[in-house]
Amino acid sequence: MFEEPFRWMEAISTRHSYVQEKLKKGQPVFAVPYNEGSLLLSFSQQPGKIFEIYDRIALGGLGHPADVERLRMSLLDMAHLEGFNRSAQDVTIARLLQFGVAPALKQNFEEVMRAPYLVQLLLAELDAEGGRRFYRLNYDGHWENFKKGTVVAGDPKASQWLEKKIADTPFAEYDLNRAMQEVCKLWEGVQKEVREDSEDDEKDESETFTLNQAFEDWHFEAAVLSNTVKRKSIFRKASEDEIQTLKSALIK
Amino acid sequence: MSESSSAPGASGDFVGLLKRSGYQFHTPVGDASRFDTHNLTQGTTVFAFHFKDGILMAGDRRATAGNAIMYDRCDKVIPIDDYSLMAIAGAPATAFEMARVLSHNFEYYRRSQLQSMSAEGKIRALANLLRQNVGMAMQGVGVVSPIFATFDLQTNQPAIYFYDVMGAQFQIQSHTATGSGSPTIRGILEHEDLWGARPLDQRERKDAAMLAIRLLQTAGHFDSATGKAQPEDGVYPVIATVTEKGYEFATQDETAELYKESVKRGEHV
Repeated sequence: MFEEPFRWMEAISTRHSYVQEKLKKGQPVFAVPYNEGSLLLSFSQQPGKIFEIYDRIALGGLGHPADVERLRMSLLDMAHLEGFNRSAQDVTIARLLQFGVAPALKQNFEEVMRAPYLVQLLLAELDAEGGRRFYRLNYDGHWENFKKGTVVAGDPKASQWLEKKIADTPFAEYDLNRAMQEVCKLWEGVQKEVREDSEDDEKDESETFTLNQAFEDWHFEAAVLSNTVKRKSIFRKASEDEIQTLKSALIK
Repeated sequence: MSESSSAPGASGDFVGLLKRSGYQFHTPVGDASRFDTHNLTQGTTVFAFHFKDGILMAGDRRATAGNAIMYDRCDKVIPIDDYSLMAIAGAPATAFEMARVLSHNFEYYRRSQLQSMSAEGKIRALANLLRQNVGMAMQGVGVVSPIFATFDLQTNQPAIYFYDVMGAQFQIQSHTATGSGSPTIRGILEHEDLWGARPLDQRERKDAAMLAIRLLQTAGHFDSATGKAQPEDGVYPVIATVTEKGYEFATQDETAELYKESVKRGEHV
């Protein structure tokens, strides 16, 4: 295989197809700004899509839970060692990605005899001056950063649709409740969008796609990095009160 | 992102992760008798007591080496996690390092295990660090005598622990103090608790904070290693609380106001 470049490229291409197919049904995880920080939000059939990584860094994961977990642990290890050996100020997503996870993911993906990571990650960071940064890391180590928020969604069409909507929505002006409402509406919107785009014979009528059903049957996860928190760790999960307020605004 | 890197996280053991990364907590000292331990910097007076809403912890700001005042802005009450504080007396070099290890240990555990470490686990973690430091303590170059305050989220109760230098921990029901100014403070606290206007654990936050300021002023009067407040330079004691809402430090402005009120003569609260 390795002495024949075409076969190697074909193997990589097949790997891309394999991973993308596996990720396609993953539910989106959103990261957007709001007036006091950054919000991460997701619905899922199993809990465990949004996590705290370090004092000012949060993670959203889509894909195989075991792979999300391995990468989460790697990020935790790197962040805490760096924070301990140097300073919390030296722990940034850009450094964790550029010098840590991204090269290792790329190497893993190109070693065609090893199982690839079935994962897409979303990272959000809120610096001490209130600056928000959002990053998206792909299973092959490629990463991008965004200023206005972003999303990981297994389906490329859904991802593109959501990215445009996020870029067009002034999330940074919204309070937390409004931001959560708008993200939930985007989540519901993309369910319909993807269904309408797909062929009739591919439609799965049993799939949950309304907000009512999602709140009823699935796990709702939301967390914020809030610049109003006076402690060193600024990550917190949305409170029960905040979730109830959100539900009462959205579910009629 | 090595395959083995997931092992420490599986148990949330940050100390194990540190060791695997090559970190050495205690550098062995060959012949400690060659050190003049009087020239090593020491932190002094800290204390904690139960008040109405939780625990108040406070400390003066002085660090000394023998007769020399090394520093007058030392923060000896250190946040460890959202619900825990540690007050240190002894060698700041060792104590600050312990606090950093402990803080990362608790946070790493909480983030990796997706739940907070139990209060008992936190209390033992500090005891383990002290036990590992026994060699240094016995040589007189790294003695640390900490007080640990935490709010137990399972029992919904605040808890104060005092440690000896070998790591034995003692739960304190009312009050404790350590460092060179502690004899004065312990005496006054006991008196206040038994015969004061109200027992310590019935006092409001403001009353408790004012008592803390007066305690340190008094200790500073009798102990040269305990620093009094220096309002002209903006140097005030560190005062913090641990309640069911987590830890909270009094701001500089708040402490300045409390100080003014506390040191007035003949107007006791």
